[in-house]
Amino acid sequence: MRRVVLGIVYTILMRNFLRIIVGVKFKNAEVLKKNKQFVIVCNHNSHLDTMALLSSLSSGQIAKTHPVAAGDYFGQSPVRAFFTRYFVNAVLIPRTTTKGEQNPIRVMSEVLKKGDSLILFPEGSRGKPEKMQEFRKGIGLLMKMNPEVHYIPVFMKGMGKVLPRGEKLLVPFDTYVFFGEPTLCKSNDMNEIVSEIEKAILLLKDEAFGNVVKTTEK
Amino acid sequence: MDLFNSEKYLANKEVIFIILLILGLLVTATLLFFIWGKLKPAANLTELKMRTKSWWIMAAIFISATIIHPVVSFVAFALLSFAAMREIASISKNVRDEDRRVIIWCYIAIPIQYFLAYKGWFNLFMIFIPVIMYVWIPFMLVIRGITTEIGRSMSVLPTQLMLTVFSISHLAYLLSLPEIPGFHAGGRGLLLFVVFLTEINDVFQFVWGKLFGKNKIIPKISPNKTWEGFVGGILTTTLIGYFLRFLTPMNGCEALIVSFLVACAGFIGDVVVSAVKRDIGLKDTGNLIPGHGGLLDRIDSLSMTAPIFFYLIYNLYYV
Repeated sequence: MRRVVLGIVYTILMRNFLRIIVGVKFKNAEVLKKNKQFVIVCNHNSHLDTMALLSSLSSGQIAKTHPVAAGDYFGQSPVRAFFTRYFVNAVLIPRTTTKGEQNPIRVMSEVLKKGDSLILFPEGSRGKPEKMQEFRKGIGLLMKMNPEVHYIPVFMKGMGKVLPRGEKLLVPFDTYVFFGEPTLCKSNDMNEIVSEIEKAILLLKDEAFGNVVKTTEK
Repeated sequence: MDLFNSEKYLANKEVIFIILLILGLLVTATLLFFIWGKLKPAANLTELKMRTKSWWIMAAIFISATIIHPVVSFVAFALLSFAAMREIASISKNVRDEDRRVIIWCYIAIPIQYFLAYKGWFNLFMIFIPVIMYVWIPFMLVIRGITTEIGRSMSVLPTQLMLTVFSISHLAYLLSLPEIPGFHAGGRGLLLFVVFLTEINDVFQFVWGKLFGKNKIIPKISPNKTWEGFVGGILTTTLIGYFLRFLTPMNGCEALIVSFLVACAGFIGDVVVSAVKRDIGLKDTGNLIPGHGGLLDRIDSLSMTAPIFFYLIYNLYYV
């Protein structure tokens, strides 16, 4: 039942709303079909980011792909937590490191061990409109613990204008979602993995802003 | 009863002829550019191929409006205006971050303008954007209370509305014009006439320029535009307009003058939008960034030819 609901909400309603009304353009989204399991790593400027990523998946993938959401924000009230879990298919994690059962990396890693996929925003919060913050280290640890899982770098441009943090009114602007190739982490050092993924996303950012010279040099 | 009406509708000879003509021309153009591209891979035909693609879309709107219901084309033109307004608001550097809540008023104006066009309320249609929105948008900007560079936003937002919504909505209004006795093609014929003439003008300016172009006309804005292309294009368009005048109620002399003015307006629209894009800095990178300014390139000449043609024909036959 829930699979059908998610499929209709995202692949039909949300996808067309984003494309026609908001003006989202998906670039190279075919890469999502290449692997069964992946961790989508994306810059974060708006609540629409998660909506855009979920609606670029196929209906079969949505139920098996979980956005990682901040427990302190989305778990504030039981209604909100239920909504986030049911309709966004999210896993809620505490943003601060805690030990034991509630350890965020452990929660995420268990999802991957089940064979499911994750959507992760390593900046941790939406931040200022259209500005990228430094990545947190958790993604490095997670990928180090699951070296057989591919990551897919994604860069989004314009979401911070459509629905920035602290704004309730959605204003349509042309927005781009650039997908990179699924990649296995080269290193197994936590810090190196973080900077490797950060570089992959910055490369997509260059493409998004038309600095193609840089990407061909690489 | 409905079925009977639509049968009668389809039996209209002009309409059938128009549909066949469009489809024939589109197939010919698509094949021609495909073969030209295969024979001479060096020739850069992207521009022409993109134009043909937008013709197909226009044709689909036109044919579906004729066969299904005229409302289809009002909705389609409204969506076109919306996407164009969104694009120009997204790439413009003259729109401040604080203006996002005012831009929503520009979007709200679109369904209202097309509703007025659909209802055929001419006076309100004519003043809604140039007068009412021209007052309302600066007022909304003032209410936001951020005065730094507010003058820029006050002038830029109404101009963007004029370019993308006011002008394009005149294409839709053609379909609301009353019937003239003895003129069967009606608004559909007029719409086809101006869209076809505008697109063919772009193509012939390009082709004449490619074949004979030597003297640049405005090198700083459009390095590919030449005097030879300009003159050749305009003469060809005027001639084609003369032979297509059966789509309009015009006589030969009127058709020549109106087609000539439409051709000139098309050129002006093209270079004005080019200059705007160059100012934003997109002209050099436009091809590299996917989709940027793409829609504006498609409607640049239409945004000038549509109102010019509309008011010419309106004052000649509908006053």
